[in-house]
Amino acid sequence: MTSDPGFWILQGLNALQLSMLLFLLSVGLTVIFGLMHFVNLAHGALYALGAYVAASVAAAVGYWPALIAAPLAVALVGVVLYGGLIKRMRKAGPMSQVLVTFGLIFAMLDLTRIIWGDFALGIDVPQILSGRAAFLGIEYPIYRLFIIALGGLAFVALTLVLSRTQIGAMIRAGVDNDEMAACLGINVEKLFFIVFCVGCGLAGLAGAIAAPLLSVTPDMGLQILIPTLIVIVIGGLGSLQGAIAGSLIYGFVQTFGAVLAPQLASVLIYALLAAVLVIKPAGLFPAKG
Amino acid sequence: MFRHTPLRIATLVLLGAAAILYGLNAEYFGLEILTEIAILAILVIALDMVAGFGGMVSLFHGALMGIGAYGFTLLATKAGVAPLPAMIGAMALGGVVGWIVGAICARTHGIYFIMATLAFGQMAYSYIFESSFFGGDDGLSGAPRLDLSGLGIDLNDSRGFAFFALALLLAAYLAAVAILRSGLGRSVTGILHSEQRMRALGLNVWRVKAAIFGLSGVLAGLAGTLAAQHIMYVSPGLLAWTVSGEALVVVILGGLGTLVGPVVGAAFFVLLKHEVSAHTTHWHLVVGVILIAVVMSRANGIFGWLEARVARWQGRTHAAKTGNLALEGDSDA
Repeated sequence: MTSDPGFWILQGLNALQLSMLLFLLSVGLTVIFGLMHFVNLAHGALYALGAYVAASVAAAVGYWPALIAAPLAVALVGVVLYGGLIKRMRKAGPMSQVLVTFGLIFAMLDLTRIIWGDFALGIDVPQILSGRAAFLGIEYPIYRLFIIALGGLAFVALTLVLSRTQIGAMIRAGVDNDEMAACLGINVEKLFFIVFCVGCGLAGLAGAIAAPLLSVTPDMGLQILIPTLIVIVIGGLGSLQGAIAGSLIYGFVQTFGAVLAPQLASVLIYALLAAVLVIKPAGLFPAKG
Repeated sequence: MFRHTPLRIATLVLLGAAAILYGLNAEYFGLEILTEIAILAILVIALDMVAGFGGMVSLFHGALMGIGAYGFTLLATKAGVAPLPAMIGAMALGGVVGWIVGAICARTHGIYFIMATLAFGQMAYSYIFESSFFGGDDGLSGAPRLDLSGLGIDLNDSRGFAFFALALLLAAYLAAVAILRSGLGRSVTGILHSEQRMRALGLNVWRVKAAIFGLSGVLAGLAGTLAAQHIMYVSPGLLAWTVSGEALVVVILGGLGTLVGPVVGAAFFVLLKHEVSAHTTHWHLVVGVILIAVVMSRANGIFGWLEARVARWQGRTHAAKTGNLALEGDSDA
């Protein structure tokens, strides 16, 4: 099995697909943390919300509108959360923030159950993305290739925005030293607000693209939360490179661990996280040197 | 350092009296709830020791409880050890694992400490979930209860077991008070206020942190052995990170760093859970909203709020600060 190149390509693609999904989730969380020093544990719940919105819209009008509606709806929820909770918790310690967002997880878990019920929902993939593509001697589902492409696209776009645009420079300044950035005339509060909403929107997008792969259930947010946190802690809180590196590490360790050493697979990633925390407590690519 | 204010003693006496009265009069279902409260209270006392007095917000305590439960069940069923030595062995195991994890995590602070403990907790959870030796996701059954018939107490009777759990809760509370008042406990609080200062004073910080985490692990292990005896069955669910999260919620609801508060929180939490569950299946929504409200009110939980009110009423505002750490005092500074 392991001598067949097709096996490595197939598992490599699987790993890449998982990585890209995690990247979409973790990049919002990590930039929010880098900029606002705010750990939003409810990020997974926003992802679940995105999946539900996508499932509802897809059932009504189709897949492509759902892919646009889900991020927008979740970003809107982000606006409400920011105004109602996050803004007031900005000055509180990390412990209080963790707890408030922990409460949000509980509340949103039940709210999705009240609105959408306990049953798992599914989404049909549009014709063009269904089926399999044959290349390099293997067959691979087109939809998973689409996820890889979308994740790659998001990475390139975010890299360009952060490194080449004015708002990107402002965000980098804010991550580096928010007080100094404010002194230089940057409206840091507004920046926080934008980044928070974009991060929420990306979580919604991740939910929408994950929905056809996994079934949409109320606890899907809880299931993805731990992998997302592992990604950002391994990568280093606050940095884009950290998010992509952490996602790739998680995706490949998890996928190849599961096929090469199934007994160890689940423990492997946690052991890796523990090792990173002990050796480099701030992660592999911390935002601040 | 932990101090017994009149309010704390009064609350403890009141809680004790209520528990005894309730335990004598309750039916089977009430006794089960009482036992559940006692077990949760032991776990949150253990958690408050490290989180409230040491600033180490741990998401590993569910795993510590699970390790106690599994350790007890394995010793008592597969190794054929008598229940009492099995309990002691399981508590020792909780202590050793707690010490090791505490020692490794001691270097990290704030959010990183939370993540590190979460990682170790999930590691234990996944390992037990996948390992056939631990029964995998089926768990293990057949945990025996302690035999106290020599003292005329039948632990297979739910009333007898409820009082047994309450007695162990009292013992755990007194042990926690003794630990927090010892030199070690004072060092831990010193580290909470300023790690740099304690280091400058020549204290070996990681050793103190590991020691208090280990002792906390012994108490969490005790809660685990009781949980195993209570339902006579252990499953990987005991180690899930949400158990640790819920324990943290109870500590916060009760009052971080007050030791008495978390016990109040445990009673409040379990009773509320059963009351709300009787009316609606959306129990998580209720607890989520309460948690958000408590944290945003800036009060230190139910008991912390009460202490602040009493202190204001007495006109001694400084009294509230001596034994009572505000939530903000727990930053990673």
